[in-house]
Amino acid sequence: MKRRNWWRVAAALAALAVVTGVLRWLAVSNAATVSTSYLMVVLVVAATSRLLVAVVTSIAAMLCLNFFFLPPIHNFSIADPQNWVALFAFLAVSLVASNLSAVAQARTEEAMGRRDELARLFDLSRDVLMMTDSPEALAVLARSVARRFDLDFVAVAMPHAGDWSVFEAGAGHVDLERRELTNALASAQASLEFDAQARTYAGHRTMTVDGRDIRLVPLRVGTKPIGILAAAGRPVEAGTLDALAGVVAIAIERAQFLEERKASELTRQSDQLKTALLASLGHDLRTPLTAIRVAASNIVAPGVTSDDRAGQSELILTEVERLTRLFENTLEMARIDVGAVAAESRWAHPSEIVAAARDQVEHTLAAHKVTVSIEQDEPVRLDPRLTASALAHLLENAGQYTPAGSEIDVHVRMSGEGLVLAVRDHGPGIAQADLPHVFERFYRGASAKARASGTGMGLWIVRGLLAVEQGRVWAENCPDGGARFTIVVPAAMKEVS
Amino acid sequence: MRILLVDDEVAIQRAVGPLLRSRGYEVDVAGTGAEALALFENRTPDLIVLDLGLPDLEGTEVCRRIRAKSQVPIIVLSARSAERDKVNALDLGADDYVTKPFGPEELLARIRVALRRVGSEEAADTGVLQAGSLTIDYDRRRVVRDGTEIRLTPKEFELLSLLARNHDKVLTHRAILKSVWGPNAVEQPEHLWTLVAQLRKKLEPDPANPRFLLSEPWVGYRFVTET
Repeated sequence: MKRRNWWRVAAALAALAVVTGVLRWLAVSNAATVSTSYLMVVLVVAATSRLLVAVVTSIAAMLCLNFFFLPPIHNFSIADPQNWVALFAFLAVSLVASNLSAVAQARTEEAMGRRDELARLFDLSRDVLMMTDSPEALAVLARSVARRFDLDFVAVAMPHAGDWSVFEAGAGHVDLERRELTNALASAQASLEFDAQARTYAGHRTMTVDGRDIRLVPLRVGTKPIGILAAAGRPVEAGTLDALAGVVAIAIERAQFLEERKASELTRQSDQLKTALLASLGHDLRTPLTAIRVAASNIVAPGVTSDDRAGQSELILTEVERLTRLFENTLEMARIDVGAVAAESRWAHPSEIVAAARDQVEHTLAAHKVTVSIEQDEPVRLDPRLTASALAHLLENAGQYTPAGSEIDVHVRMSGEGLVLAVRDHGPGIAQADLPHVFERFYRGASAKARASGTGMGLWIVRGLLAVEQGRVWAENCPDGGARFTIVVPAAMKEVS
Repeated sequence: MRILLVDDEVAIQRAVGPLLRSRGYEVDVAGTGAEALALFENRTPDLIVLDLGLPDLEGTEVCRRIRAKSQVPIIVLSARSAERDKVNALDLGADDYVTKPFGPEELLARIRVALRRVGSEEAADTGVLQAGSLTIDYDRRRVVRDGTEIRLTPKEFELLSLLARNHDKVLTHRAILKSVWGPNAVEQPEHLWTLVAQLRKKLEPDPANPRFLLSEPWVGYRFVTET
């Protein structure tokens, strides 16, 4: 018996003594009055204490009644048979009253316990709803269960490709026997039985690891088991465990749903990309193909003037060049996409890089006046191939979006960050609305869309190449008109001896 | 004959210009919609080849503005992705279309047909159309093939005469539905499919390989006189 109950017994006995003393002092001898007075003490004790205390009090009261008030007094024997009846009636009434009171108390406690568990379940549900679709979702879930239910150990175990993925939480690690988990899940799958008494679906199991009892509860979505919840520590009622497992199962399902949605979102984006690529290719293949086909027939057709004829082969070359560039861009984009582009550093002169870049886009720049200024043409260590390619795309972009005959300035210098290459044009500049998007794949500004050339690939490729080189690129409008694109490539310079 | 070529792509201008000149047409070239409208006013071309993707104006808008003033034949150049624009242009009065990439002969044939159509319209409005072995008498509502009269229901005759009066020109599904069934029927192409099938069965020597009543996939129908 607990210490507190001893105190209760002592208090009850003291109360009995006081009542006895008062009755004696008042010289009350009527058995009915005395037993009613004792009954009052027993009922008060029963209402405030455990059943055991009430029973002890009942018996003590009966003994007092017998000893002090039923003749012969000061003796446990009873002369009058009537008094036997009174004595046992008293005992019976006080025991029944004690019992009723204890049952009522137990109900109250149970109700309070339920309320507590409901509150915990509610908190857990809230945690579940706040859960994001992070990869640690299930570990977070296990931690929430352990915290909300004050459990020493919680594990969410999910079958995964023939093995189990176990997410643990709480103090200390417990090695869950995989076979035990498999058996628990198998039995949950094999039968579904509702235990009305325990208010639980059968299938709970208990396993003992290092002397600790661990309860295994099937996680069910509807009635279908999808995994196992393991819990140890504070005893939790079976019905509550079931409800808890239900919330956890819903949380798992939700996490899986979020994950699936993310995957389908990715698929959709990749589909969009393919559609954009096809649309872009379709648009940019059509014009050169038409021009080449018509020009080729013009070369041999009778009736074409010699002046007209002369232009046709040049036209074909230009358009073939355009197709080649389109093909190269597509290939380069694919290589960046699959990560097949790697930087290879070596020593190169900035002037070489600029010359290589201009070479690549000679045709596009034929109608523009390009001026190059290089602050110091000392060798730098970087990947000259990727750098030249990125610069070529910037030059091509400038050539495509500015009027023929306008100037393009290329400025090269070294900074603390590396080699800085700036391409400045004297065209209309970039519309404010387009500026944040110019490096997006297939993005073409509102005014650019009306123009036939341009694929929306070039600047994206620049971004991709610069990412490989750990460099950066940005676009801006110059205060006095025209756009400027600047790239910075990390590069080392030779020590000046 | 003077042709106005409207395309903002220099490559197309430089290839198609010489092609048309080599066949004896005089060619004016416009790179923008505004330029096209100005040249149309000043040079009064006999035919316009119009690309739908222009930098300043929608090609369909150019088409609409020209059609408001003149019945000059318009052949639309379009990319396959601009299907909707093409149909819009035809609805707005363009006569025909060529899809890029096209071959020189394809474009030249369309130009010849469009120019001939104008000539025949101006030459004779006699009420009788002769197309190969087929004779259509609009006034007496009679159709004769190889000396045999073909009996048509009033709806069938209405459809046939609409297509035949616009022979060699593409009529969009929408335009036909609107003209034969009224504006409420434009979203119900089933009517048209059924009626065309019936008409072909009566009219065509081989309904599976029509000679007169040709389908333009996704766009509309064309009645051809040159078989």
